[in-house]
Amino acid sequence: MATPNRTHALPGAFADLLPPRFGLREVLDAREASIVAVLVVMATALSIAYPQFRTLDNVNNILLAVAQVAIVGVGMTMVIITGGIDVSVGSALSVCAVVVGMRLQDGAGVLEAIVVAIAVGTAIGLVNGLLIGLGRVHSIIITFGMLNILRVVSFKLTGGKWLSGVPNTVNYFGSGTLLKLPFAWWIAMAMAAVAWYYMRRRPTGRHLYALGGNPETARLAGVGVLKRTIFVYTITGTLVGVASLVFVGGAGSVIQTAQVGIGFELDVIAAVVIGGTSILGGKGSVIGTLLGAILVGTIRNALVVVNVNSLYSNLILGCLILLTVALDLLRRRGRLA
Amino acid sequence: MLLSLRGIDKHYFGVHALRGVDFDVREGEVHALVGENGAGKSTLIKIIAGAEQPDVGEIVVEGEQVTIHSTQDAFRLGVATVYQEPQIFPDLSVTENVFLGRELRDRFGNVERGDQRRRVRELLSSLHLDPGLAGRRMGDLSLAEQQLVLICKALAQEARLIIYDEPSAILTQREADTLFGVIRRLQERGVATIYISHRLEEVFEIADRVTIMKDGQVVATQLRSQLTVGQVVELMAGRKLHAGVAREAHEQEQVMLSVRGLSRPGHFEDVSFDVHRGEIVGFFGLIGSGATDIALALFGIEPAEQGTVELNGSRVSIGKPSEAVEHGIALLPKDRKTQGLFLPLTVADNIAAGNYPLLSRLRTLILRTQERNLAKRLMKALAVKAPGATTKVGNLSGGNQQKVLLARQLVGRPKVVILDEPTRGVDVQAKEEIHRLIFELADGGTAVIVISSELPEAVRLADRLIVVRSGRIHSEYARGEAETAAILQASIGGGDGAGGNGDS
Repeated sequence: MATPNRTHALPGAFADLLPPRFGLREVLDAREASIVAVLVVMATALSIAYPQFRTLDNVNNILLAVAQVAIVGVGMTMVIITGGIDVSVGSALSVCAVVVGMRLQDGAGVLEAIVVAIAVGTAIGLVNGLLIGLGRVHSIIITFGMLNILRVVSFKLTGGKWLSGVPNTVNYFGSGTLLKLPFAWWIAMAMAAVAWYYMRRRPTGRHLYALGGNPETARLAGVGVLKRTIFVYTITGTLVGVASLVFVGGAGSVIQTAQVGIGFELDVIAAVVIGGTSILGGKGSVIGTLLGAILVGTIRNALVVVNVNSLYSNLILGCLILLTVALDLLRRRGRLA
Repeated sequence: MLLSLRGIDKHYFGVHALRGVDFDVREGEVHALVGENGAGKSTLIKIIAGAEQPDVGEIVVEGEQVTIHSTQDAFRLGVATVYQEPQIFPDLSVTENVFLGRELRDRFGNVERGDQRRRVRELLSSLHLDPGLAGRRMGDLSLAEQQLVLICKALAQEARLIIYDEPSAILTQREADTLFGVIRRLQERGVATIYISHRLEEVFEIADRVTIMKDGQVVATQLRSQLTVGQVVELMAGRKLHAGVAREAHEQEQVMLSVRGLSRPGHFEDVSFDVHRGEIVGFFGLIGSGATDIALALFGIEPAEQGTVELNGSRVSIGKPSEAVEHGIALLPKDRKTQGLFLPLTVADNIAAGNYPLLSRLRTLILRTQERNLAKRLMKALAVKAPGATTKVGNLSGGNQQKVLLARQLVGRPKVVILDEPTRGVDVQAKEEIHRLIFELADGGTAVIVISSELPEAVRLADRLIVVRSGRIHSEYARGEAETAAILQASIGGGDGAGGNGDS
């Protein structure tokens, strides 16, 4: 396979540039296509061997299981594209869920639950964004701190006790269906659609890529670095709030405070990274993240269907993450060489 | 007059970087800016580009006094800068790189991808470049192509003045020619150019006027036609360049390093030579000749696959750099910024790095005072110009950075010092001083190997000059034995029957 003429490709040499190629690199670049391919192969094989896999119920199980991951993944994609990361989303989810649960216990309606969830999530995201943007501290430090602080907050809110007797006011978010698909999944797709439009067509959306690609050059080019930074963490917080409604809606009447959102951030980051967003920033898409989330869910589900210990789903997921990150790095190093 | 600067003063890290500078640019002219490193060229450019603000002085653009607070302000005034290392977004397309921050929008505020692409294709065509570049990923282009894209970016912003900061330093001759073609085409359209370069031949090829800076001041601004290269060098240095300290042909003492049949297939073959105590052996070859690879092999970075190395009479095997250091071999790497220095650390830290076993008690406790004292002694010996041992290396000029790196190599009193392009990117005066240091080093009994792709330097430094061509030792000359033209001929090939048969 020919590699692009990188060293002496000047005008005279442009004439002999090769037409578009479909080699290994192009396949690696078209991450969405490869995820779809993996999904199709997996689904076909499983459907033939295990007919129960093919049912709409099972598909909805998968989608419902990963809806929260997909919703928050949309925000996380933006964060990672700007070259940052947010590891506090799991703890943030638990704070939102606990606050919403407590309001519901006090008899709040659907509208109030939605407002409270989004307000709390957005506030947490805003704090992350302000600390990272104004403090110019690396996002992993700030959000790691927040991960721990928020965990204590959610514990203190309930005095360490489980919430029980939560009314089923927002159950539609967790288990309702619309046009045969889970309502939560429609939310995820709607969020992704808005984000997709924003990141492809709006100037400030394109700036997120610039920010992750080369922050200093982006600043010199007139990108509002501080505004974009605060924005991506805030919107991630907002989406955590939305996801918390899905969580509370699916949790039933008991919320096990200490268990909410444990390891959630890892699933979200896994979906984003497997979906082809470069952990180094500057590259990625929310479509990839949705597909990444489905792939994560399908693998988990498949192992249940095949009746393999769920421990192995973590093994497979871990290998998949290492593989994608390795491919990404290999591709970059190949280009730098 | 497109741009005029009057009485610009600027202080920087306690240094008076610019003193009352007057500078102007006419519409459509190519104005070269030359001077040694540290003369103030970069600071002046930063002020015009809006990256720095002057302490005192005024800037006038087309008759109107302006203040340039940011690079955005400079863009609005039609001033764009193309830096040596292109500032790009590797994962975005060429088109997006051109328009980033100043996107074309439709009436809903969305990015007009189609219009942007058409505009970039037009710009590329107008510079006689391939419009097909518009859709490529920026990171896939060569550095030269990236620079050209950034010129398109400047044009898309309707720049009337484009500043080039040593653009050719990273380009091949052919690429530089393309760049010059583009600059001339822009000139025809009335776009003015400020061109900074160390290469005077280039300046004389492209410039209409030349401004020479020294010590933060403008020494002269003249039409190119009224200047000669010799005059420019004289004005830059502020004194006549003496032809260099003559060094006595060296008496051959004991052999310090003896290399036999060293090979690394694909890089160099069957390389044999000796270096004596107190001798300077020069390796000269064009880029890609393998001279640098030989140095890397001797230092264990890319070990040779065959051959023997004897140090002081006993055979040694060097598989990695730490072994080379243990045997008393030091290397001054070619690329000081990425391979040698820790720019955010202090001079003392940089000198001490890698020498901790010598500077510590029981190989455990690092003695800061000892570290500082050593740094101070070496800074004095090597005439490093820095406020103190705790100055950050990143704030020093290229020549002084190189001296710091050299100082580090000398801490362990090496028996053999390998210098790979020791004066690359340093100014004339620092070069002089580094040459003097190399002579002193040899006079002190060290065996010195200098690799240089700059022939005058190689000829001047080497007691014995070895010409490397296509990975083999082509010929060898004692000091003063051959004309530089003959040596150049030997390295390039052709001419007097030297069809690559490997000996002289």
